[in-house]
Amino acid sequence: MSDLPEYKLERTFDAPRELVWRAWTDPELLQQWYGPGVETIIHKFDLQVGGEWLNEMKWGGNSNYQRVVFQEVNEPEKMVWHHYSATDAEWNTAPNPMMPDWPALLLTTVTFTELGDRTAVCLTQVPMDASEAEITCFAEMMKGMDKGWGSGFDIIEQILAEL
Amino acid sequence: MELSSNINTSPNLDAIFAALSDPTRREILSRLMDGQASVNEIAAPYKMSQPAVSKHLKVLENAGLVERAIDQQRRPARLKAEHMAAAVDWLINFRAFWGGSFAQLDQVLATMKRTDNEEPDNE
Repeated sequence: MSDLPEYKLERTFDAPRELVWRAWTDPELLQQWYGPGVETIIHKFDLQVGGEWLNEMKWGGNSNYQRVVFQEVNEPEKMVWHHYSATDAEWNTAPNPMMPDWPALLLTTVTFTELGDRTAVCLTQVPMDASEAEITCFAEMMKGMDKGWGSGFDIIEQILAEL
Repeated sequence: MELSSNINTSPNLDAIFAALSDPTRREILSRLMDGQASVNEIAAPYKMSQPAVSKHLKVLENAGLVERAIDQQRRPARLKAEHMAAAVDWLINFRAFWGGSFAQLDQVLATMKRTDNEEPDNE
């Protein structure tokens, strides 16, 4: 189990750490940036160990529901949460309609490192309590991203645009 | 794009992206985006034998990206992207999700910094 596939994204933001932490932990601010191209509605945001973040993302006529349970809150350095990537409207874990083998639960860790007036954010997601099929599905995706599926993605985007 | 469309089986992403890793196969797909074509028609622009083209088509077919008509002499190949479209579209969205969110976070932070400068008593 030590070789679980991992999604990792690192980015340095041009803002002091307290500000970045606030943008991640004030639901008013969080819903302004979480989820590109969608309307994000935060139904509940209880930032403490065991507390929940209930998140709805709307686009077109669709809604996607996600449930987060905080595991570690270490202001202003680190947060760890369980990320249920698909739930029904009552926040019960549901199969992912788009991708049945996508991991239902991702262990998400976000760290905030001070770099003078700037802040480095590192986000990782690792499948948790995952089936073989879920791990394989996630691993294929990550492997592709590592290899730079660039041109593959380009042509798929062209194909999808024509459908 | 119907984001809510259901699929029963995950497409084999490994096969799809392995198929797409070859530049010739990507060109074949580009050609098929303009409409179906026979092996002859596909081979014409390349210095490539028909068996070589057939081999590439086989890889694309096994990945579920292409299908060949069986009832015609020339067996034209055509693009068959529908069954993988929803899942791959979703994967593209995942890939873009945090990156896109972080770009928006940049904007929010810039606004916050401006607001904090205007109201220094706030902090």
